[in-house]
Amino acid sequence: MNNVTENLRKTAAKLLQDQEVKMVIGYGAGSEAGRTQPVFITSPEDAEKLVWNPFCVNGLTKYLSDLKNFDGKIAVVVKGCDSRGIFRLTQDNIIPRDQVVVLGIPCAGQMSYQKLAAKMDVSGQLTDVQEKGDNLEIKTSKGNLTVKKSEILLDKCALCENHNPVIADHLMGDKIDIAPKPEDYEEIKKYEALSVEEKAKFWLSHFERCIRCYACRNTCPGCTCRECVFDAIKPDWVGKELNVSENELFHLTRAMHLAGRCVDCGECDRVCPMDIPIRLLNKKLLKDCKELFEMATPGSSEEGGSVLGQYRLEDPEEFM
Amino acid sequence: MANKSIKKDQVKSLLDKLAQSNQLIAPIQSEGITLFKPVKSGEGVVLDYQNALVPPKDFFFPQSEKMFTYDTTDPSWAITPVDGVPNRVLFGARPCDVKSILLLDKVFDAEFRDDYYLDKRNKTTIVAMSCTDARHTCFCGAFGISPGEAEGADILLTDLGDKYLAEVLTEKGEALVSSCGSLFTDDDGNGPAAKEKAVAPAKEKQMQIGLEGVKEKLDNMFDHPIWDTESLRCIGCGTCTFVCPTCHCFDIVDFNNQSSIGYRYRCADSCQFANFTRAAGGHQPRPSKKERTRQRFMHKLRYFVDRYGDFGCVGCGRCIEKCPVNLDIAQIINKVKEVG
Ligand code: SF4
Ligand code: SF4
Ligand code: SF4
Ligand code: SF4
Ligand code: SF4
Repeated sequence: MNNVTENLRKTAAKLLQDQEVKMVIGYGAGSEAGRTQPVFITSPEDAEKLVWNPFCVNGLTKYLSDLKNFDGKIAVVVKGCDSRGIFRLTQDNIIPRDQVVVLGIPCAGQMSYQKLAAKMDVSGQLTDVQEKGDNLEIKTSKGNLTVKKSEILLDKCALCENHNPVIADHLMGDKIDIAPKPEDYEEIKKYEALSVEEKAKFWLSHFERCIRCYACRNTCPGCTCRECVFDAIKPDWVGKELNVSENELFHLTRAMHLAGRCVDCGECDRVCPMDIPIRLLNKKLLKDCKELFEMATPGSSEEGGSVLGQYRLEDPEEFM
Repeated sequence: MANKSIKKDQVKSLLDKLAQSNQLIAPIQSEGITLFKPVKSGEGVVLDYQNALVPPKDFFFPQSEKMFTYDTTDPSWAITPVDGVPNRVLFGARPCDVKSILLLDKVFDAEFRDDYYLDKRNKTTIVAMSCTDARHTCFCGAFGISPGEAEGADILLTDLGDKYLAEVLTEKGEALVSSCGSLFTDDDGNGPAAKEKAVAPAKEKQMQIGLEGVKEKLDNMFDHPIWDTESLRCIGCGTCTFVCPTCHCFDIVDFNNQSSIGYRYRCADSCQFANFTRAAGGHQPRPSKKERTRQRFMHKLRYFVDRYGDFGCVGCGRCIEKCPVNLDIAQIINKVKEVG
């Protein structure tokens, strides 16, 4: 067992024992190697179910929105990227800050289940995983694999802005000293350079594939409207019909609703079953907002809200 | 019926030929994603794929389909039905997906005969493809499905190295073979034995899940706490539904763009969505994730058996692979067996 897992279990058990919180949301063993699953611990004995390993990819903060009427405080495990979701939720008044205990984990990078599955049979149980320099030694009940971390790393982690959580009431491991690689938006610039026709072709070919499962919305800490515009029946802003024009409207609407609010956690992109590169839309808006409003990545600090959702008397209103 | 075979280098000619007189639906790959698509020829068709990201169900029960158009200014309120589909060949469907079509038949070709479905079903010849390898999430064996059998298909192909064994299973299959003249030759008699060998890895590699007693146990588990605990991590997306070859719930909606002319369509819906059961006036019989998660597993493993005498899952593993929170039906089956 690694130190972080040990710390997590101890801290969770204590918080529950002392009745400081009534629930701890963290990661538990997955059904396959290369996966973990979110667990919801309510008794100190069950804290043993918590794990920390390089497959803790899920963002867990959105569950706080589901559980906003939960009777008692909740502790939630966050990595750097997820931690920005905490401030998204508090700034949007979804949850009061004092109802949450943040268990922060410094994170060097998480591994992709898909990438791993392309290299080994992941249907066994993970029995051990060790970091050895640039390599991961993965042991499962159905075989072992030593693999270069960079080969199975989640794409987003290569551009991580906060390896250390931006907020933590309890830190579960030593701070990580990896200089954040400045996001230069190289990938976005490539798409910006395309002609309108090329852009349309690119996006419509992706939107066409969308099955409108709404996993991207449901996992997003910024998507917390009481009634989502895509669920509204009267008026039905976006029809239920699955076709490329409704799909396009869905994607562009969602992107705009997250403009200046998206915390760049990458969850929507990860959960999409159809591999639609949603991150490109969000990153483009992030880039624009940063350039236009000198905005920090949303959720980086407790103060602030959304740059597009603020009203300031001194705003120039040049367009009026 | 007869066993035939076809050389691998003849398959493209076969597909080209089929595409001339039918709408050909076959697996193609783009950006690493395999999907069934209508194709104009054999160009770009991939046959050594593991299962397609979404099942070919869409060609029988589309996720969205127009039912008819109407014009409310028409004094007779005439409605115009939509055109049916042309004759089609679905090429390369895997055994689990073929079985799922037999399950859909139980729903759409029963007491209520669904003309939209049946038009497509009757006009489609299914050429299935045995599995010689399994994905890490496959468990079709649990449901009595074999990687080397495809009841419900018209022809079953099996990759035997330089050729495909072609088992002709129905008259529709025979008609297809005879329309293709010399492309098929008689099997040399070694085909069936070679097939067993070819599909053995898929049988061995897949998850071995036993279903003994699961249905009977679920009969008494409506109020079991397992649904409270397992549902907590579900994010209520429609992923597991929309990638599933057997899910068949739909909603019916009118679209008229505020004019007198409009159309009615139906589109797949998911029991995992909160608004699936929300009724007029706000009544909500499945108010939380607990009821919705329970519904999904109960429908597949208990209610479908009650209603149609078979499980409503074929073990394709798509929902396992794609669920963003690892709510895994194989794991749920094992847990149901374990819990008291
Ligand atoms: S983006 Fe950063 S904090 Fe988030 S998982 Fe990757 S390395 Fe960890
Ligand atoms: S997760 Fe992907 S497929 Fe599902 S609605 Fe979002 S973009 Fe579409
Ligand atoms: S839009 Fe995507 S990346 Fe942005 S906060 Fe939501 S889930 Fe995270
Ligand atoms: S429930 Fe899952 S494994 Fe079963 S048929 Fe549907 S998608 Fe496949
Ligand atoms: S079980 Fe998984 S795929 Fe299905 S609705 Fe829940 S989170 Fe989505």
